[in-house]
Order: sequence, then structure tokens, then C-alpha cells
Amino acid sequence: MFDAPGPRSRRRVFWVSAVSASVLAGLVALGLRQFALNGQLDPARWRPYLTWPVWRYLLDGLGSTVLAACATGVLAAAGGLVLALRPNRFTRAYAEVMRTVPVLLLVYVMLFVLPSFGVNLPLFWKLVVPLALSHAASYAVIFRAGVSSVDPGQREAGLSLGMPDGVVTRFVVLPQAVRHMTPLLVTQAVSLLKDTSLGYVVSYTELLFNGRVLANYNGLLIQTFIVVAFVYLVVNLGLSRLAHRLEAARARTAR
Amino acid sequence: MSLVLEGFLNTVALTLLSFCGALLVGLLVAVLRIVPVPLLRAIGAVYVEVWRNIPLLAWLVLFVFGLPEVGVTMPLFWTAFLAISLYEAAFVAEALRSGVNSVASGQGEAARALGLSLRQSLRHVVLPQASRRVVQPLANIAIALTMATALAGVVGVVDMTRAAQRINLELAQPLLVFTGVGLCYLVMAAGIGFGARALERRLA
Amino acid sequence: MGRLFVAALLLFVAGCSGGTEAVPGAGKIDALLAKAPVYAGEVTPGSAVDRIRKRGELLIGGSQDAPLLSQLDPISGELTGFDAYLGKLLAHYVVGKPSTELLTATSETREPLLANGTVDVIIQTYTITPARQERVSFAGPYYRSGQSIAVRKGTSGIAKPADLVGRTVIVGANTPGVKAVRDAAPTAEVVEFGSDPECVTALKQGRGEAYVQDQAILVADASKDGELQLVGEPFTEDLYGIGIRHGDAEFTAFVNDWLREIGESGLWQEVWKQTIGTVVTGDAPAPPAIAS
Repeated sequence: MFDAPGPRSRRRVFWVSAVSASVLAGLVALGLRQFALNGQLDPARWRPYLTWPVWRYLLDGLGSTVLAACATGVLAAAGGLVLALRPNRFTRAYAEVMRTVPVLLLVYVMLFVLPSFGVNLPLFWKLVVPLALSHAASYAVIFRAGVSSVDPGQREAGLSLGMPDGVVTRFVVLPQAVRHMTPLLVTQAVSLLKDTSLGYVVSYTELLFNGRVLANYNGLLIQTFIVVAFVYLVVNLGLSRLAHRLEAARARTAR
Repeated sequence: MSLVLEGFLNTVALTLLSFCGALLVGLLVAVLRIVPVPLLRAIGAVYVEVWRNIPLLAWLVLFVFGLPEVGVTMPLFWTAFLAISLYEAAFVAEALRSGVNSVASGQGEAARALGLSLRQSLRHVVLPQASRRVVQPLANIAIALTMATALAGVVGVVDMTRAAQRINLELAQPLLVFTGVGLCYLVMAAGIGFGARALERRLA
Repeated sequence: MGRLFVAALLLFVAGCSGGTEAVPGAGKIDALLAKAPVYAGEVTPGSAVDRIRKRGELLIGGSQDAPLLSQLDPISGELTGFDAYLGKLLAHYVVGKPSTELLTATSETREPLLANGTVDVIIQTYTITPARQERVSFAGPYYRSGQSIAVRKGTSGIAKPADLVGRTVIVGANTPGVKAVRDAAPTAEVVEFGSDPECVTALKQGRGEAYVQDQAILVADASKDGELQLVGEPFTEDLYGIGIRHGDAEFTAFVNDWLREIGESGLWQEVWKQTIGTVVTGDAPAPPAIAS
């Protein structure tokens, strides 16, 4: 929709770039100065993060994070599938409620309410079950959208070729649906991984909680949490990139 | 009882203010991502990726306990407001951007072919269609944001969830307390959904 | 870009994995273990002691981030502190070796962890209260403490609990401090944070004028951080017990016998000197009398 840039707009782009680059550099410099003034750039405060034992401890936490995320993902996807395949008043109400109630509240219910009714799960499940309950609703929405995104003509064509219904679903509808769903599934996986940081609240030793223990131990609060945030960023970016790669590969083979 | 009210008001205030903040910052970032200046697009993209891929709780901890370490101290409520606004802004920016992108490119091109300027075609052709399409995604973000404010309770803000937990310690009536608070969130989300539908009808 | 980061990280990790590991602080517990008793009496089949012996390790609910009480050194993986050492010694008493497994508990998860048998004992500055006694059994008490007030060094006007009236006070979420502050100063504004380090950071950053917490924890904090100052004596009396599954009278009596034994032999005092005693001056106090 934009015009191909002529000499004038090219000049304008150049000036806008130059101005915004200097504004950005100024902001970064201001931030760094603020850090330096408060002694937070002192190399001694960052050096521990160049040592293996510190990383081993953090990666240990990352392992627990991934474990909780995987368990939640499997449970939530299974629950979402059930919800998506059985659209009735109850499942719709369930999805609606779960879309609006904070996971933290569900975690608290798990911690305080259920024990007084004799339901007591190990710590790991106290984190995973509320997360799964909440994310199942999101998965259901994704699955429903995925299946309805496939042109009904595709199913009809398959049926008219004499394929049985199950075969049509398995080999015609689902592959296309999954392709449409992939970006959403990845977004969901990222959001799930982020939500496991609630382990911070229930003392499940995942990445953020380990960050807290580490910060308490070495007193390097800012540094620890910046490093922890960076680890989350790398993992989640990696997840998104992987999905793009898969999607591209799938698009090639589909032709 | 005053604790319940305090928690409820804090949650409502935090939700409303943070959503306004997120809209403002999100709009700015969306513009950055659309303008034909590569550097600004890159800045917008980096903003979105960095904020979206790090858990809000990590941001809250970093802001509440980290900012004072570099000499920036604000009241807890406003620190939480800042972190939640900047976090949700990344999602708002993406919703706005995909809303603009969802308007078929032929629409914009047709407008330009008819001789409308870039500004005119945005103003009269693209944005009216886009604005209708972003209402629902933005309402979803607002609901997610309502839920997200519960995390502020972890870093010391007395929000509804934190208040519920504190009351529960004293009353030992967990089922009642948590169901009540859950209903409050439901009502808030229903309100947002209602408002979004009304807005959609007006824009239609 | 993400791929590049991961690759760099892997390279970096690979490059560092040859590093050496030191285990500081390991000597303290060895000296204590050398004097520690081992139970030699009868064991009822199916009892808690029997179960722990068969498993070969004691499952403890506790903290990783309570300095001087139960603090994990993330580098060496070593757990140190008064509660942590008592746990090791109890394991040694039951199994004959100090094998323990720590499960992180919070003040919210302790009772459930005991009730469903996830842990054998809770050793975590666990104050004995009548309300809690309806849901868990307590061995002990093994330590006497109380809620104290800490302020930033140089703060004036706060010397006793009544001075907290109308001020902003930081407390740990779900700790006895919440109630203690309300009883002592009903109009104080209470700000809660989930862990002790967060509370200390918040106090130093001026998010409150005082921090009310258990004296042992505050002493430990002040020892690590010169900006903190304790004012006055504890204004409540809290007795810590070892949490045991509700109604297990046999195991409770067993742990009580052990507590009495290490109290009389002077081992309790040794543990105190190695941990809390490193920051509190004076001789070890007498261990509290064990309730029968």
C-alpha cells in the first residue's frame, strides 16, 4: 500500500532512522548510567554468572520448568480435545469460566480449599493441575478454530471419493487443521511455559523460584533476575523459531 | 470487610489504568511495526518479542525489587501498573497490527488506485475496517489483563486475590471466600465482554 | 537470533563444565555428626520409624532460603542452618546416616504435606499454635523465639510494638507476624511479601518503616546485612515444634525422646553455636522444656 520510496521519502526514511537511532542510543545510555551510578555494572556483580555451578543451578530450575510445562501441556491438550469434541452447555460454561478466573486463584484453591475436602496432591501437581485446568479451555478454542478453518468442501470431496469418515478426518481434515493451528499452539506453549513461573508462589523449584533462592544467597538481585529473564527469553524465542521452521517444512511437503 | 473492598477496588483500578497504559504504549509500538522505516520496525519487533517471551511475574519481581536498586523507587501500586501496562502493550501491539494486516491488501491498493493519498486511504478505508476487527482481540487482552493483575498480589499489592487469601487465613472459610472472589472476576470479564459487543455494534 | 543464543549458551556451558567444585561448610555438620546418637531400641513394624528406616532417608519439609536456619548454598547444594542440621541429626538418629531429602514447603503447604505423607517431618520455624495442633502433631518445642521488629539503621521513633501504630509495616505473607502486628498495632498498614529476602529488600528500599518477623530470622538477616537493626525484645513468645502427621503419638514421643537426649548431652547447644550462635553473642540458651 505504501508508495515505492522515491528520493524524497528515502531521504525522509534516512532522517527518521537517524533521529530514532540517536534517541534509542540516548535511552540506553541513560539506563546504563543509572545502573552504573548505583554500582550495578560492577564486574564483580556479574562474574558469578560466568561460572558453571550457578548455571547448573539455574538450568536445574529450567529443567523443572520444562517438566511442569510438558505435563501441563499434555493434560491441557487432552482436556481441550475433549472440550472441543463435545460442545455442549457444560463445556461452554467451563471454557467461559476458565477464561476469566486467574490461574493464581486456582492455585490458591488447590492449596487451601481442596485439602480441607481431603484432596491433597504433591507439590508438582498443585502447580500442574490448576495450570492444566485453565489452559484446557484455551486449547479447546484452538482445536475448534483449527477444525472449522478447514473448508467443508475438503471433507465432502474425501467422502465423495468413497473414503470412510474416520479416514477423511485423519488424512484430510486433521493435517490441514494442524497446519492452521501451529502458530496458535506455539503461542499457547509459550504462555504455558511462562505460567509455570507461578511455581514461585507454591515453592516448586522451577526457574524463577531458583532465581529467588540464588538472589537471596548471593544478594545479587537485579543480576539474578535479569539472567533468569534472559533464559526465559532464549527458551521461548527458540520455541517460536522451531515452530516457524516446522511450519515451513510442512508447507513444503504439503505441496 | 474493608479488606475485601480495598482488594476489589485495587484490582479494578489496576485493571482500568493498566489497560489504558497498555493501549497507549501498544498503539505506539504497533505504529512502529507498520511504518516504512526498517529501524523503527526492528525496534517494535524487539519490544514485542522481549516483553511477550518473559513471564509477567518475572517482570513484576524485576520491577518491584529491581528498580529501587538502580535508584528508581515508586509506590508498589504504580510499579505494578507500569510492569503490567508494558507487558500487555506487547499483546495490544500485535492485536492492532494483525487487525490492520487483516484488511485485505487489495482494499488499500484499490483506494490508492482511485487516487486517495496514503493518509486518506488509511483514514477512510483501512482503519474503519481494522478497528472493527480489533475490538474482540482487545477485549480478550483486557480479560487476560484482569487475570494478570492477580500476580500483583505476589509482590505486595493488596489486590482481590491477595485479600481473599488473607481473609481466608482468619475466617477459615476457603470455599466461600474463593468462590466469591472468582465470581467477582467473572463479573468483571462479563462487563468487558458486554462493553466489547456494544462497541462492535457501534462500529459496524 | 534465538538459535544463535542457544548455540552460544551451549558453547559456554560446555566450556565451563570442567570447573572445580568446592563444598564449603561441610565440616560443621561432620563435627556434629561425630557426637550424634543413633537409636538402638525396638522398632514397631509399620511405624513411622520403620518406614523411614526401610526407605533409608528422612523426608523433611523445610526452606531453602532462611539464612542461619535452613539455607541452601546453590553452588555446593549444601543445606546449612539450625533447622537443617537438626534434620540431618534426626535422620542420623533414625537411619544411622544423615541422609535427608528436603521438600520446599511454605506456610501454606505444610499441613497438607504432612497429612498425605509426602514428608515425615516439618522442621521450618514451625510455631506451635492451638489452631495448628488440630491439624498436626508437634514434637518439641525445640526452640523458643518470638516476633521482633527490625528497622533500617538510623530510623527513630520505633522502639516498641505500640510505636507501629499508623505506620507501614512489612510482614511475611501467612506468618504469625500478620496477627502479631494487628494485635499490637491495629491501625498499622500491613504489606506482605512471600519470602524473608523479599521483605528485607522491601524494608531497605523503603516500602515500609518496620519489618516484623521471627527474632531468629531477623537476627540472621541483620548479621548478613549491616543496614538492618533490631529494636527491642521479642514481643510475642513463639515455640517451634517439629511437625508430625496428626495423631502419630508414637513417632511424636520418639522425636521427643531424641530432643531430650540431644538437649541433655549438649549437642543441641553445639548446633546452636554453629548456626544462630555465630551471630548472637553469649552462651547457648537452655533448650526449651519438652512437653510430654
